[in-house]
Amino acid sequence: MTDPSLPVGAPLPDPAAGGVNQPEIIESAAEVHVATKLEETAGPGEKEVLRVEDLTVSFPTDDGLVRAVRGVSYAVHEREVLGIVGESGSGKSVSSMAVMGLLPKSARISGKILYRGDDLLKKSAKQQRALRGKKIAMIFQDPMTALNPVYSIGDQLAEAVLSHEIMPRKKALARAEEMLALVGIPQPKKRLDNYPHEFSGGMRQRAMIAMAVINNPDVIIADEPTTALDVTVQAQILETLVQVKDEVNAAIVLITHDLGVVAGMAHRVLVMYAGKPVEIAETDRIFYHPRMPYTAGLLGSIPSLEGGGGGSRLRPIVGTPPSLINLPQGCPFSPRCPLATDVCHESEPPLAATDELGHVAACHHWDKLADVDDPTVYFRTESEAV
Amino acid sequence: MSDPTTPGSIPAAAAVAGDAQGMNVVARTQAQMVRRRFFRHRAAMAGLITLLLIVVLAFSSIGFASVPGWWDKDYFSIATVENRGRPTLSVIPTWLGGDGMHLGEHPFGQDNVGKDYFALTMRGVQQSLTIAFIVGLVGTVIGTMIGATAGYFRGRVEAVLMRFTDVMITIPLLVVAAVLGRRYGSSGIVVLGLVIGLVTWTGLARLVRGEFLSLREKEFVEAARAAGTSARRIIVKHMLPNIVGVIIVAATLAVAAAILLEAALSFLGFGVQDPDTSLGKLISTYQTAFSTRPWLFWFPGVFIIAIALSVNFIGDGLRDAFDPRQNRVRD
Amino acid sequence: MLVFIVRRVIISFFILLAATFVMYLLVANSGNPLQDLQESRAPNREAQIEARIRLLNLDTPAPLRYFIWLRGAAGCLVPFALECDLGQSIQGQDVTALLSVAFSQTLQLVIAATVLAMVLGITVGIVTALRQYSGLDYTVTFSAFLFFSLPIFWVAVLLKEYGAIRFNDWLADPTIPIGVAVVLGTISGLFWMIVIAGDRTRRVTTFAAAFVASAGALWLLSETQWFADPGLGIVVITVTAVGLAFLTTAVVAGFTYRNVLYAALAAAGIGIVCHFALDSVLDDPSGLTIVLLALVTVAVGMGLGYGLGGLQRRQAIQAAVLTGLGTGGLLFVDRLLGAWDSYSDRVGGRVIATIGARTPNFQGTFWEEGLDRATHLLLPTIAIVLISFATYTRYTRSSMLEVLNQDYVRTARSKGLAERGVVVKHAFRNAMIPITTLMAFDFAGVLSGAVITERVFGWTGLGTLFVTSLARVDPNPVMGFFLIAGTAVVVFNMLADIGYAFLDPRIRLS
Ligand SMILES: Nc1ncnc2c1ncn2[C@@H]1O[C@H](COP(=O)(O)OP(=O)(O)O)[C@@H](O)[C@H]1O
Ligand code: SF4
Ligand SMILES: [Mg+2]
Repeated sequence: MTDPSLPVGAPLPDPAAGGVNQPEIIESAAEVHVATKLEETAGPGEKEVLRVEDLTVSFPTDDGLVRAVRGVSYAVHEREVLGIVGESGSGKSVSSMAVMGLLPKSARISGKILYRGDDLLKKSAKQQRALRGKKIAMIFQDPMTALNPVYSIGDQLAEAVLSHEIMPRKKALARAEEMLALVGIPQPKKRLDNYPHEFSGGMRQRAMIAMAVINNPDVIIADEPTTALDVTVQAQILETLVQVKDEVNAAIVLITHDLGVVAGMAHRVLVMYAGKPVEIAETDRIFYHPRMPYTAGLLGSIPSLEGGGGGSRLRPIVGTPPSLINLPQGCPFSPRCPLATDVCHESEPPLAATDELGHVAACHHWDKLADVDDPTVYFRTESEAV
Repeated sequence: MSDPTTPGSIPAAAAVAGDAQGMNVVARTQAQMVRRRFFRHRAAMAGLITLLLIVVLAFSSIGFASVPGWWDKDYFSIATVENRGRPTLSVIPTWLGGDGMHLGEHPFGQDNVGKDYFALTMRGVQQSLTIAFIVGLVGTVIGTMIGATAGYFRGRVEAVLMRFTDVMITIPLLVVAAVLGRRYGSSGIVVLGLVIGLVTWTGLARLVRGEFLSLREKEFVEAARAAGTSARRIIVKHMLPNIVGVIIVAATLAVAAAILLEAALSFLGFGVQDPDTSLGKLISTYQTAFSTRPWLFWFPGVFIIAIALSVNFIGDGLRDAFDPRQNRVRD
Repeated sequence: MLVFIVRRVIISFFILLAATFVMYLLVANSGNPLQDLQESRAPNREAQIEARIRLLNLDTPAPLRYFIWLRGAAGCLVPFALECDLGQSIQGQDVTALLSVAFSQTLQLVIAATVLAMVLGITVGIVTALRQYSGLDYTVTFSAFLFFSLPIFWVAVLLKEYGAIRFNDWLADPTIPIGVAVVLGTISGLFWMIVIAGDRTRRVTTFAAAFVASAGALWLLSETQWFADPGLGIVVITVTAVGLAFLTTAVVAGFTYRNVLYAALAAAGIGIVCHFALDSVLDDPSGLTIVLLALVTVAVGMGLGYGLGGLQRRQAIQAAVLTGLGTGGLLFVDRLLGAWDSYSDRVGGRVIATIGARTPNFQGTFWEEGLDRATHLLLPTIAIVLISFATYTRYTRSSMLEVLNQDYVRTARSKGLAERGVVVKHAFRNAMIPITTLMAFDFAGVLSGAVITERVFGWTGLGTLFVTSLARVDPNPVMGFFLIAGTAVVVFNMLADIGYAFLDPRIRLS
């Protein structure tokens, strides 16, 4: 268990502890210095590689139909990083698994998932498989369980190559070694023979990144790639991701429940709530001019962001997300929204244009947020409010 | 554990609630959920109903202890053999070309000395069920005690108890049960049930110990210990309720296994002895009559299977009810 | 790893030692070994009692007597150097001699049954896990529950009646009435309909095809009096062998890359050619010839795989060897059936046996003797398999379901690995880890499970020795039996631990 990326004496990453359980003294990943800034990398191209149109996913269960995704649309351009942010349970993973074609058979899916113009949902299982891992790759949340414990790292990386092209094993292993080196694992040749349990959490996630890019994909979907990791490792992993993306010229869909993570990482951000996108905009707009109270609420729980609450206490959004089986009438955020009015309880706001081109939000009262300097103000207690 | 001010991330409470299938319906209690899942398990319900019917039939028909039953014949009186002892039970109604639905004089027929085979079979059901129940109960209690003690105290206590368990596991159950049955078979079914129960606890002991080892590290147990709660109280009040599902399931399956074990022992001649009877003993006694009077063989066999199958289904239903995760797959 | 094994061996040894002590006391307590003599009216009663007390050391208290027994038993540990002495039976026979005869019988019975139950059970378990909640899954689940709710002796008696006595009667005039053919065809249709599943039209066609094929085949078999002199024939063998080649290829490699299939087909082809080439050698071979042929088959299979495998050499070798052995097995069965006619004549038409391991004093060609064994093994094997099979399917199914739910299986799919690889390489390999423990328990437990089967089918194996000796309160043979059964438990548990470590690098490398 030697992980050069871990400082001596650092606690081992605990797979059970999600990001929600971080020790409070440690800065949010937003502040951890990501050496390679996104601006320094190749910017987004013109061409769309992935386009999702009105995707819905629901699961029939004993308790009723779980409507996990209720109409998600977005587009990702070449080399672009799109952040998808939302509370746990908001349908981020389900929508990305739908793109990968990895949902259970019981799932009912509708909508379109276009990869370079071809609808994946219309393709045969075999055609879907040929794209999976080759053109669209995925990195998962928990590196402790995402690797098969009984095969060596080299085996599992080589398998990703051999799944799409039959070649001598040696050649596949050589490619695996190259990838391990690329993601910053020292002594990659030796490491090929290691088993996952001989890797630390951070190294396993690097190996997962190596596996994702080994076939030069066009899109990498990273589903909470840092959530299960120790905070000190999180920034390194994000940095590796950005570097590697440049190396293989891929676009990234970066999924997280932590707005801080997308801050220095994403070109654009999509905020999800209760299975729907509620706001889409350039990253800076999201941070400085949110037009949806839920986004503002998320921002309100991040400390020391410019324009944030200065010294006043942070306040999380009160309440819990709605049941996906019996969604309340009207705006799904209305039970928790400080701006909610009668109309909010009656009709669900569509995703609509706001005061800037390309910035859309699903809120009846987005203009109220435009009226104040600091939208997070609504999420502070009266006495603390400026 | 939830620190609402954790910077930059979503509050833990909300996250947890969201994960529970996106439901904030009134939180149901664990027991209610279990009950609901169990009653929805169709095979388990069928098993439960069948078992209840069999129990009621067996105990009400010929009565038990000094309580008389509604069936007018007993299982020991010798009578004249009528019509070669054929069963008079008929279940095919006349309009289907059968004899009509009736029980007749001897629904299950008579054995070769004219005993009423229905009464005899019912007696066998009573005895087999009693033994199986005692075996299941004794084995479960001992297994739980040994496993809990070993898992809670660790150290030398654990070493001794678990080595002892290892030794007992080495002796195949049928073998040790046969040896004990050879000695205690004639002491009546209660004694037989008790001694067999004494050797059927090993699997459960290991299971309970494993559960206890992990429970032991949980915060609520450490808190209780820190508060100076006595070991006995921690085990009984804090830990056992947490694994009651595991124990109930194991106990149910133990009863099913005991039915078959008793039958096997009686078949080999090391189980229930005269003048007592049991389903296994009936089959054993009449197996040679198979070609001439097959009903003597079929009826007790069908009852053994019906009981064992019902109990197994109930166990399966309980397992699903306590641990629904087992049946979910994301393929 | 070595330390681990040595430690494990030492612990197992002491556990076994303690178990024999417990067992010895229980056996000593199980009854009065003098009872028959005390009740007898023989004039030399006193002398007989005296002699038995001396024979069994009954004047020593049981705990001490154990050490006398142990001293003799210790000799068994060091072969050749010391004499293995497990005492004598009441009748004065050496227990070691009794055991060795009984042991070989039981082994014959148990090995085939266990291996068969394992292979069938694990395969069916995997298939039902992959098709959870399908008609097939429900059917198998119900059957599994039914099987392990069956008293084995009850099944055994039924098998004897219908599988042997009535079947043999029927063989005298083996015609299948058209009604029976229709009923069996319907059953087969339903069976395949459940297995294949699919939408409505697919089900109907499956049913119809299976019905016509089965009922037709039965009718044909009946018309041609096939049962009077059964055999597979070269057509059936060829078709099955080619099917086997496709099946093994599908399991080990899939069809994207053809070389594996070519290697497997070549193995099947060579097997069939050898069928003709070796005709004279196989007229009356010795057991050794068969073993040698099996080894040659493996070697040829490896050669074919190596030569034709191309980029998938490893998979090609596996497929070729498996196909080769399977084809060999088919040829073997065909030859056995070839002896049916003459064998049937020699046993007076009672082909399926109900008693014992072999027909007493039966001598014949290799194939006739082989068939004799096979027909004796058939029913007890079915009885044992039924129940073990149920356990294996249930266990494999739940283990597979558990594994299929793991993140690494999702990862495997996400890299675009074909479903075959996901199931065989990732899911099955991990699911096997807990199953090794079950195998160990089952293999060891089967020895005692055979106790009942042996009783019903009149095999004079270890089980019968145990039961008769226990009934007579004859302690030494009982202890002898336990020594073997207990050792089996301990050794197989040890093997399970080692197998576990072998399958799981987390244990192997620590
Ligand atoms: N197989 C399934 N069956 C039923 N509900 C599911 C299934 N998978 C996910 N869900 C539900 O879908 C919702 C969205 O889940 P998910 O996409 O994982 O959220 P997250 O945004 O945290 O990634 C959750 O409420 C979850 O319980
Ligand atoms: S629509 Fe109303 S309830 Fe919903 S977010 Fe906007 S203001 Fe709040
Ligand atoms: Mg998620």
